[in-house]
Amino acid sequence: MIGLIMFGAALIMLMLGFPVAFTFGGVALFFGVFSEGMDLFAFMPYRIMSVMQNTVLMAVPLFIFMGVVLQRTKLAEQLLTSMGRLFGGLPGGLAISTVLVGALLAASTGVVGASVVAMGLISLPVMLAHKYDKRLATGSICAAGTLGQIVPPSIILIILGDVLGLPVGDLFKAAVWPGIVLIGLYIIYILVMTRLRPETAPAMPEDPTRSRKQEVASALLAIIPPLALIVVVLGSIFAGIATPTESSALGGVGAVVLAIIYRQFSFRMVWDSAKDTVKVTAMVFAILIGATAFSMVFSYTGGDYILEGWLHALPGEKWGFIILAMLVILVLGFFIDFVEIAFIIVPILAPVAEAMGINMLWFAILIAMNLQTSFLTPPFGFSLFYLKGVAPPNVKTTDIYKGIIPFILIQILVLALIVIFPEWFGMSATY
Amino acid sequence: QDTFTLRLAETWGPNFPIFGDATKSMAAMAEKMSDGRLKIRIDSSNKHKAPLGVFDMVRAGQYDMGHSASYYWKGKVPNTLFFTSMPFGMTALEQYAWFYYGDGMELMQEVYEPLGLKSFPGGNTGIQMGGWFRKEIKSIEDLQGLKMRIPGFAGEVFSEVGVSPTNIAPGELYTALERNTIDAVEWVGPALDLRLGFQQIADYYYTGWHEPATELQFLVNQKVWDKLPADLQEILRISMRTAAYDMLIQSQHENAKAWASIKEEYPNVQIKKFPTEVFQTMYKANQKLLKEAAAGDELAAKIVESQEDYLEKTRAYTDISERAYLNTMAEVE
Amino acid sequence: MRWIIKLDEGLARLSNLCGWVACAAMILMAGNVFYDVVSRYAFNEVSIGMQEMEWHLYSVVFLLGIPYALRTDGHVRVDVFYTNWSNKAKAWVNLSGAVLFVIPFAYLIGSYGYDFALDSYSMGEGSGDPGGLPYRWIIKAVIPVSAFFIATSGLGMVTFAIRVLSGEKSYEVEHSGEGLA
Ligand code: NA
Ligand code: NA
Repeated sequence: MIGLIMFGAALIMLMLGFPVAFTFGGVALFFGVFSEGMDLFAFMPYRIMSVMQNTVLMAVPLFIFMGVVLQRTKLAEQLLTSMGRLFGGLPGGLAISTVLVGALLAASTGVVGASVVAMGLISLPVMLAHKYDKRLATGSICAAGTLGQIVPPSIILIILGDVLGLPVGDLFKAAVWPGIVLIGLYIIYILVMTRLRPETAPAMPEDPTRSRKQEVASALLAIIPPLALIVVVLGSIFAGIATPTESSALGGVGAVVLAIIYRQFSFRMVWDSAKDTVKVTAMVFAILIGATAFSMVFSYTGGDYILEGWLHALPGEKWGFIILAMLVILVLGFFIDFVEIAFIIVPILAPVAEAMGINMLWFAILIAMNLQTSFLTPPFGFSLFYLKGVAPPNVKTTDIYKGIIPFILIQILVLALIVIFPEWFGMSATY
Repeated sequence: QDTFTLRLAETWGPNFPIFGDATKSMAAMAEKMSDGRLKIRIDSSNKHKAPLGVFDMVRAGQYDMGHSASYYWKGKVPNTLFFTSMPFGMTALEQYAWFYYGDGMELMQEVYEPLGLKSFPGGNTGIQMGGWFRKEIKSIEDLQGLKMRIPGFAGEVFSEVGVSPTNIAPGELYTALERNTIDAVEWVGPALDLRLGFQQIADYYYTGWHEPATELQFLVNQKVWDKLPADLQEILRISMRTAAYDMLIQSQHENAKAWASIKEEYPNVQIKKFPTEVFQTMYKANQKLLKEAAAGDELAAKIVESQEDYLEKTRAYTDISERAYLNTMAEVE
Repeated sequence: MRWIIKLDEGLARLSNLCGWVACAAMILMAGNVFYDVVSRYAFNEVSIGMQEMEWHLYSVVFLLGIPYALRTDGHVRVDVFYTNWSNKAKAWVNLSGAVLFVIPFAYLIGSYGYDFALDSYSMGEGSGDPGGLPYRWIIKAVIPVSAFFIATSGLGMVTFAIRVLSGEKSYEVEHSGEGLA
């Protein structure tokens, strides 16, 4: 029960505006010390150590570094505005470019903190400078940055493969279509939205002195260098030169090389970029450490047993089971880390699903879709915090909360489509 | 009568097959045999978040018991290396004989006692497979600069024949092997390897040599042990021993099942054995490394000697019994 | 009041020192990973020691970055109400947050982290992998060191809040680490 009260307390305390990471940590400290005693916190060094040795998370500082360098050297702006120009008079071009670039980044890293922050650094200032609606801008960045969870390679899929005993390759293959459909629907949403309310996403102003052809040609030319960088990052993974984590270092070094080519390089620039990187990385990891203290207190005070109890009460009929299971995961995802969900909840649901003859691959994809949504759901969605951490002060937390809602609805729609029409995604619901 | 609840931290995640079954069955037996006086509550790695912190946590008393593998602590206490499985060492049956009827248990206690711990055999995986390779190894040249995920002592032996042991986060192993970022992966055996899907991306599955009988470990904090009444100590001891032996049996069963399904569903997978020259070179390297390990430390020397002596004796009998029978069967079929 | 200002400036320097070390580690880490990729791919050379150095440096980046970001207000806040509040109200939030949350949290992590590192030191712990790095206690000791500096940065939040309350300083947007984008 303590765990549940703790969530309420954290929610109230967060509203006071003290840094999120230390609010989590501090609330955990009070509930933990009062119910279990100080010694509970002897586990903290081990938990911090496990973050330190989680080398996959190295992608966070490295991708952020790439993002900062691209931003400081104006190369990011060049990429996005050129892509926006390619869409010509189409409103929403920048947002669509953001989704596309985000999807590309997502294909290289599965670490949400890395892609959301990098996209936030790269594309938020550009969209704001072009008078985009704050909600549309932040919503599309969070949604695109979180795509990394479903677009392979992805950590959620690897963990689910492990928990459910499914080959990772099969999961990766099965996740491709849902990922593509999501990206497609995000773009369609942006198109429809901007058709209805063009003022939310003004089209890029056309240069009257140049023909459309010249415009396209110069845009294509400008896209090449930053796009080449993304190709290097992705290509190094596909060619086996680097692991997804290491590819982020190639991105960082590559961005510096681009800066040299474009005569934007100085040691000052690199040092200042490192400084920004450290600040943002610290913000992300402080949240991870605060959250691990929080989940420690939650589980050591018996929160995990309460959850198990609820799950065992799910109905024994197939459709009822699936719908309620998805609802439970969605709601828990508001509060609890996806790794916890994967490890605590999935092992309880899996045997039940298996006994009902449900195709586990399909079930896994449903869960993965659902868990990526959990990064985006207010008030505890980590993607929202991460983006807020790099957004200018005039972008309010509430803007981000409101901006993400349409994208969450799209995800729920796709989830429902996979449930009802699995064959559209190349899957079947049963064996 | 007092009831005791012991908290056990295991290195594995929740519901981890085979390894996790050993802890669960141990806890269930202890509770039943003690008529509920001895309860063991298991926390998996998702809860304590420190898979390789089990040793420290049990030592510090944050947990009463642990389930892990002794060789993980080699970086802390070098002599813990010897109680899991050694390259070119004993088979599971031979090693159990060494533990229970040779000097194994005593020597293990000699290593763990000064640390305030008791260590017991915790279940055997049986022989581990030599790993998944994307290219066939035809000669020792093929191993030069080969990038392989193989940790610990076996990695050191492998590096003596030119292999480059490489660290890859477990979550990225599959992608790394698929993209040829690394050339080979050593994991466990069919039952556990199947879960990671290596059979989909590598064709050559090599037979084992480096961990012929991987024995897991139950750790008990000495003070906690001392507090238990004699009958509960005995119940705990028997539960651990039975669960350990049962894990060996279950490993055989699950591996056989998994191998059958790999054979059927992935006809691309071929079983291979390293060329003899490779084994000979590795064997020599292994002897050299063992000698080095024994040279610096009296207790290490004693353990290595005990294992070598026991292996010699027990293998001579294995040769005329198990091996002779399997050879005969091979001829008949 | 004067000594509060002195103390505050001193604490700020400590946090900036952490930031300096973290920045250096950040650049070294990028170079380290890049070097490892190139030497593995181009020269087929793998050093587990160099691979372990990656996560050593990466740990320094965020463990020492956290106190630095505290001073520069880089940690994200939920600003539903916060931004509209007066400087005084903000100062009270920060002062009580630092005293109730940051400093006790840092104290617990620091004291247990100290035992954690000391244990590693007394055992002479090193890597268990071939060619891995020795002296594991050094990187483990970064946990209590980080906790110490988080505590001093927390104290810095207190001293800064007192300066704001006295009207000598204010929470400006410029001071905020937000808005990197
Ligand atoms: Na991904
Ligand atoms: Na193994």
